[in-house]
Amino acid sequence: MTFFVDANVVLYAASRGEYRGPSLAILGAIAGGDAEGQTSVAVIEEVWHIERSGRAGPLDGLAEHAHSLFAPVLAVTDEVIHTALGLHAGDLGTNDRVHAATCIVNGISVIVTADRGFDAVPALRRIDPLDERALAPLLGGP
Amino acid sequence: MLMHMLDQRLQILLSAEQRRRLEGEAKRQGKSVASLVRAAIDAHYRAGAAGERGRALDAIASMKGAAPSPDELNRLVEAERDAQAP
Repeated sequence: MTFFVDANVVLYAASRGEYRGPSLAILGAIAGGDAEGQTSVAVIEEVWHIERSGRAGPLDGLAEHAHSLFAPVLAVTDEVIHTALGLHAGDLGTNDRVHAATCIVNGISVIVTADRGFDAVPALRRIDPLDERALAPLLGGP
Repeated sequence: MLMHMLDQRLQILLSAEQRRRLEGEAKRQGKSVASLVRAAIDAHYRAGAAGERGRALDAIASMKGAAPSPDELNRLVEAERDAQAP
């Protein structure tokens, strides 16, 4: 099943903490061809902003490596923006609305992210990287 | 760095047998026909793609970042965009 990978999964894979292991497992399954995880131009841009801010530790080259891992990435099109602008999703921020709309336009119904804000999008099922049971089928497990 | 976005549409003709095979494989793998075609193109015409992904993963795994909560990450992105605005 195709799923969308949010920026925090990429960032947590490169950072210390409880999310590191599961996030690396997700990226590893994608890199190995065992999982059909996709991301978008907007997510790579987000990772790049955070990398360049220097406020999330030393992450030099993370955006480039993330792009290499996910390429080809999904485009943010006119249809995506149109869908994002019409999204009813509570307090979800603008970046996240674009990610949600990218999923909807591309027929992706699952987003892997630690951000609970996506729970407000009825068209999406959010899976937290720490939720091993929900994640396993996406990564080629039972 | 390779730049790839899914923004190019290509219409191709297949034999009925090729189509059956492709759709059967897509069903078996639980993937879309389009993703199988893209993977086949990458496998045949972009040698080294798997190695490139493996190297990217290794590089990410070696990093020692300190990413904060999702809410704080969202605020960081907004702050960085504001800082770059003219």
